Amino acid sequence: SSRFVLKRLLLLVPVLVGVASLVFSILHLSPGDPALTIAGERASEEFVKQVEESLGLNDPIWVQYGRFIADAAQFQFGESFIIQRNTTVREVLVNKLPVTLELAIYGQLIGVFLGIPLGILSAVKQDSITDHLTRIGALAGISVPIFWSGPLLILLFAQVLGVLPTSGRISVLYNVEAIRVTGLVTVDTLIAGEWDMFVSAVRHMILPASVIGVYSMALISRMMRSSMLEVIRQDYIRTARAKGQGAKITVLKHGFRNAMIPVITVIGIQFGGLLGGAVLTETVFAIGGIGTLLVEAIKVGDYPIVQGTVLTFAFLFTLVNLGVDITYSILDPRIEQ
Amino acid sequence: MTAAPDHSADERPPLSEQLGVRLRLVGTALVAGVVVATVSVVAATVLSDPTASVETAFALGSLLFGFGLLGWSGAVALGRGIESMQETLDTQTGWTEPDARRAMARIIGFGLGVMLGTMFVGSVVLGLA
Amino acid sequence: ETKTTTETTTGTGERGLIDRVTASPFVSKLLSNRLALAGIAIIVTMVVVAIYARLFISLDAITQSQLGTNPNRAAPSLEYLFGTDGQARSLLPRVAYGAWYAMLFGTVTVAASTTLGVGLGIIAAYYGDVTDNVIMRTMDVLLAFPSLLLALALVAIFPDDLGLWRAVAALTLVYTPRFARVVRGAALTVLENEYIDATIALGATDPRVLVRHVLPNCLAPITVQSTLNFGLAIIDLAALSFLGFGAAAGTPSWGLMLSNGVSQGLLTGVWWWSFFPGFFLALTVLGFNLLGDGMRDALDPRMRE
Repeated sequence: SSRFVLKRLLLLVPVLVGVASLVFSILHLSPGDPALTIAGERASEEFVKQVEESLGLNDPIWVQYGRFIADAAQFQFGESFIIQRNTTVREVLVNKLPVTLELAIYGQLIGVFLGIPLGILSAVKQDSITDHLTRIGALAGISVPIFWSGPLLILLFAQVLGVLPTSGRISVLYNVEAIRVTGLVTVDTLIAGEWDMFVSAVRHMILPASVIGVYSMALISRMMRSSMLEVIRQDYIRTARAKGQGAKITVLKHGFRNAMIPVITVIGIQFGGLLGGAVLTETVFAIGGIGTLLVEAIKVGDYPIVQGTVLTFAFLFTLVNLGVDITYSILDPRIEQ
Repeated sequence: MTAAPDHSADERPPLSEQLGVRLRLVGTALVAGVVVATVSVVAATVLSDPTASVETAFALGSLLFGFGLLGWSGAVALGRGIESMQETLDTQTGWTEPDARRAMARIIGFGLGVMLGTMFVGSVVLGLA
Repeated sequence: ETKTTTETTTGTGERGLIDRVTASPFVSKLLSNRLALAGIAIIVTMVVVAIYARLFISLDAITQSQLGTNPNRAAPSLEYLFGTDGQARSLLPRVAYGAWYAMLFGTVTVAASTTLGVGLGIIAAYYGDVTDNVIMRTMDVLLAFPSLLLALALVAIFPDDLGLWRAVAALTLVYTPRFARVVRGAALTVLENEYIDATIALGATDPRVLVRHVLPNCLAPITVQSTLNFGLAIIDLAALSFLGFGAAAGTPSWGLMLSNGVSQGLLTGVWWWSFFPGFFLALTVLGFNLLGDGMRDALDPRMRE
């Protein structure tokens, strides 16, 4: 119901205040000096003082805290110090967020649409060769780090076989900025009706999305398998089978919906891991999203960007889990009182 | 943002009693935070630069406060999911949502206490304002 | 009763422990597990390589540019088994030295987080109630963060002149909760035993009870957790180096070599820059995972699905 959704939406407030407080404290506990970073190492003392003044670094810390939280609540982080000088953080994020979002969406889709069938297959054919292969494959998928599997796939598919592009989001021949609507290249090219561009964007997406999707696939298939086994063991499936329906249909009809409930919650929880994986995947495939942006910002000490990115990550994670929660309550109406 | 508002109205004792328990929980931690902050900031001031110690203490307080808030909302938002995940994957650790919320309420209270204590010492005693 | 007396007498406690470990079904079960044995073989090999590299390979020689002496960007050949890099340095000794870095920093990370986690877990289990709840729920929140993102946030707190130690410090904090959780569970089971109550009634002090009675009985789960985390620590340390938050430029660490291979080798098809460091990284991690899984099965067969 809408009241339930509203309650869940309200949770965004403590999440964001919490994250903002964490970011604030980390920035104040970390050794860098923001005024010095902006002014540059060789700036005069006066100039550094001036910068301190303009950033409000001379106010008592609780005043700074209050201002920080108030700004964060409005997603107002000022301008980037270093990475894109004189650009507001908001603008930088608007540019970079869709890149990561697109990667995460396709990665998640691969994870869900491969993980769920594999999990069901594993459960239905419990202890068969298919089952063992699926599980070993999933384990191997997690053991190999993204920053090795990525390069290997690039070498194989791009360099040796030459069937897929190496890096980036779309061929450099195309100007996606001109047709930008959502920022997701696979969507924008479709909206513009540019079929060739769309194909190029999809081809660029295949490798990075697979690399990142393997992780969610492994967890989802494991969860689906044990959840499905649980449901199969339950009585009513046996009764249904006794009534003479085909085994396969029984499993799918009765088991699937119930087995999905715990799986859906996992999809939400592992979304955080997916965002973490995005940082590495973006680096390997030279896709400039908010993952690489965060890494760069931490490296050079661009604090406004760090704040903005971290808050965006938290926001995304919470939103996805909100969606999961709502789906959950639709699947299992007992939850909602 | 003190006593974090509760969204899950299950079958529980009457509202006033619930509120009382919560206030005591957060309040005790808050007082502890104020005391710890006051003592440590005053002690640190004797040894080093007052502004720096006030800033560090306040930052640590906001670290705890933020951590607690995040943990609290995480428990509320994901609690059911985590419980069912542990059940399905057979990795029960005795984690329950109410337990987690109670622990986080204490941390929130303590962190807030540290922030308030530092603010008090900083503005009244040391005259940073 | 007899158990208590032998363990409280100084000296014999330790030997009794070793005897118990070698005679335990845990070890014999572990040694009959082929995958675990493969894991042990891999780990032993990597440790030998690491020690060999530390003793017989000069760090200076493999860090400095070898332009002019060696061919530049040479593909793997008999002379340069793993090829050479952009500074004409042979990759073989560099990859071997990477094993030393992985083992050294992995050990420190795991040892530090084990110590912290064991301390927190035992305290939580022993004192129970509010202490337990606050410690463990805090650990849960830390566990809920994606480990790499949490490590990135923590790395920012430490000064960057710490180099790889900064990554070690951050990851130590990231892994501590896992140990705390495992140890708390194990300690709780021990504390339920009646002889513990008897020892306390006889006037043993808290630290004495914890160190003498609780800790030894938690060793098996701690070892399993440490082994599994060793693999993770090696991956995460490499990941942080890969992203530029670890080893200083030129250092022969696997993560850094991979980063170089990806940023400069991939587009030109220089596959050996990323292949070899990554291969040994993945192999080492696999070794620890196989051993850790085997240990977990040997410890508690019910945990096997």
